[in-house]
Amino acid sequence: MATFVDRYPEEASVVKATLVVSFLSLGIGALFGLVQALHRTGYLRFLDSVDYYTILTGHGVLLALVFTIFFLMGLFTWAVVQSLERPLPDIRLSWAWVGLTTTGATFAAVAILAGLIPSIDMSADVLYTFYAPLMAHPLFYVGLAMFIVGTWLAGADWFLAYREWRAENPDERIPLQTFMVLTTMLMWYLATLGVAVSTVFFLIPWSFGWVETVNPLLTRTLFWFFGHPVVYFWLMPAYLMWYTVLPKLAGGRLFSDPLARVVFVLFLLLSTPVGIHHQYLDPGIAEGFKFIAMTNTMFLLLPSLLTAFTVVASMEHGARQRGGEGYVSWLGSLPWRDPAFTGMALAGVMFAAGGFSGMINAGMNINYLIHNTLWVPGHFHLTVGTAVALTMMAGSYWLVPQLTGKRLYSRPIGLLQVVVWFVGMVLMSNAMHRGGLAGIPRRTAEPQYQNFDFSMALGTVGEIRAGIAIGGTLLFVSVVLFLVNILLSAFEEPIENPVDDSLPEPLSGASGSPVVLDNLRLWTAIAVVLVILAYTLPLAGIVGDAGLLGDVPGVPVWVSANAEATLDLLTEVIA
Amino acid sequence: MKMSRAGLLVAVAFGIPVAIELRVLFSFFGVELPLVSVVVFEALFLLLVAVLYSLNAEPKSASKH
Ligand code: HEM
Ligand SMILES: [Cu+2]
Repeated sequence: MATFVDRYPEEASVVKATLVVSFLSLGIGALFGLVQALHRTGYLRFLDSVDYYTILTGHGVLLALVFTIFFLMGLFTWAVVQSLERPLPDIRLSWAWVGLTTTGATFAAVAILAGLIPSIDMSADVLYTFYAPLMAHPLFYVGLAMFIVGTWLAGADWFLAYREWRAENPDERIPLQTFMVLTTMLMWYLATLGVAVSTVFFLIPWSFGWVETVNPLLTRTLFWFFGHPVVYFWLMPAYLMWYTVLPKLAGGRLFSDPLARVVFVLFLLLSTPVGIHHQYLDPGIAEGFKFIAMTNTMFLLLPSLLTAFTVVASMEHGARQRGGEGYVSWLGSLPWRDPAFTGMALAGVMFAAGGFSGMINAGMNINYLIHNTLWVPGHFHLTVGTAVALTMMAGSYWLVPQLTGKRLYSRPIGLLQVVVWFVGMVLMSNAMHRGGLAGIPRRTAEPQYQNFDFSMALGTVGEIRAGIAIGGTLLFVSVVLFLVNILLSAFEEPIENPVDDSLPEPLSGASGSPVVLDNLRLWTAIAVVLVILAYTLPLAGIVGDAGLLGDVPGVPVWVSANAEATLDLLTEVIA
Repeated sequence: MKMSRAGLLVAVAFGIPVAIELRVLFSFFGVELPLVSVVVFEALFLLLVAVLYSLNAEPKSASKH
């Protein structure tokens, strides 16, 4: 019984299917990223600036939603199966959610990309936040709804697997990886309620024309009800790998199982009641609620700091097992030659930097300084764009061989790839942060306003542009290297042990962690209460102000044939 | 401390954010370094790493696997 694919061939096929969708989106999304980086800096423009929003919507949706979440679904399937040491209860259910999520994502992608083809009267240039009153083609929202329902089924699949295992192991602790999957999914069920209600009850009927108007602040608030926790949905797969795989790659063992459980419980509790921190500048929400959201957000720093501690401690332990010594020089004893290790370690370093700029975002008052500027993409390309994306790519170098039974095509290319990503992201995100401080806006193809100069505290705007363009190009090259490496690996001959896939026990194991941590019902109940406390009054206020369906007609982005009518509508909305 | 080729690559990569942020650091104290100073710093840094590497490199055979 060699590796995962030999033990669970059907589950391996499910995981491979999700990874194929994930990597395909990564490739297209990265190409769009390159186009944006070159367009908005003025280095290379072959698209009309109007089409910039089609590309930007594609980039946001394909990378932040499709690439990350499909990878998550594959990783979680692998994690549940291999940590419970049993196949999934019914493989047809698994294929059902793969099918549903893939169809949904395809619908959304088609609606977006059709925007590039003028002869098709369909478009969804609403960006990945799909704020009303910008209105996408209904196919976009329908695809989105199918995608979300698909993720719910995936969660059900993992919970059923857990239930079967529990029936046979009534007294055992939940294996750590499964615990991580289950707590993350509980958070996801709670969080997606917001976006599901918004899409199914408001946006779909409105885009079909069944109802005339929408309440933009309501759908926006429901979006961020989901939009903050989704960042932890991206991050938890990375955490799962940092906690359970990275220590092993470093040559050691996880420092503490109980601490890992505490962190995941804290994320379940605190992820959702903070979404309003994305709306500090929205009128219509009282300052007091924004203050509560800020306070909760600052508490969220705790689990991330705990993670930084545990992960670094585990790596140091690994390095010392490998003969590392001294206060700093143990770093040299880490397995830098292994792209899976190096990629994850570099991702962790960049995450620390992203955490610092995140604290600026989270502060109600200093947020005003950087709100809607390039600083914000600078921040999240460090977090989701690197901590998550680079960990997923690096993790693939270790994970994919287990799914195919074939070795990785080239480790040196893998190493080069993760280092190029690091360098590219340093350049791009540094420039974005600095540009944002000078007030350069995000989400625009034409940041160079006429008769206006941004005043930089340091350096020049030209330097910022160069940083974004060069960094973006390196990032694109890195994605190409990654995809080529994975693709060529598919042509390797199957071998017995393509990668060492054993995971060692933690230094301080599950037996030392309080049993109450495994009480998922208790934590879910507390999480629900916190959400009710944080959201009831703001939502009541928003509905009270403008009604459930609001009074804003909507600005379809796909009636290209009828641009005049759209303009009229726009002036009406603004008035 | 022995330095592997992979370690060298990572060390070089780490030099880049340091070089870039050097200007920010100096600007805290009111010193505005020109952009070329980053280039000069980076060049010196690469030289230093190269020297360290040639002194401490693992024997060739060790970097083969
Ligand atoms: C090839 C690598 C990448 C490049 C060159 C790139 C470039 C860019 C640029 C220049 C923008 C800003 C556009 C603007 O505000 O006008 C942007 C936005 C964005 N990027 Fe990336 N990016 C890359 C990878 C990623 C990854 C891996 C993710 C997430 C997993 C990501 C997620 C996003 C999101 C969510 C936005 C915001 C979209 C919006 O404002 O609606 N990017 N990207
Ligand atoms: Cu948030």
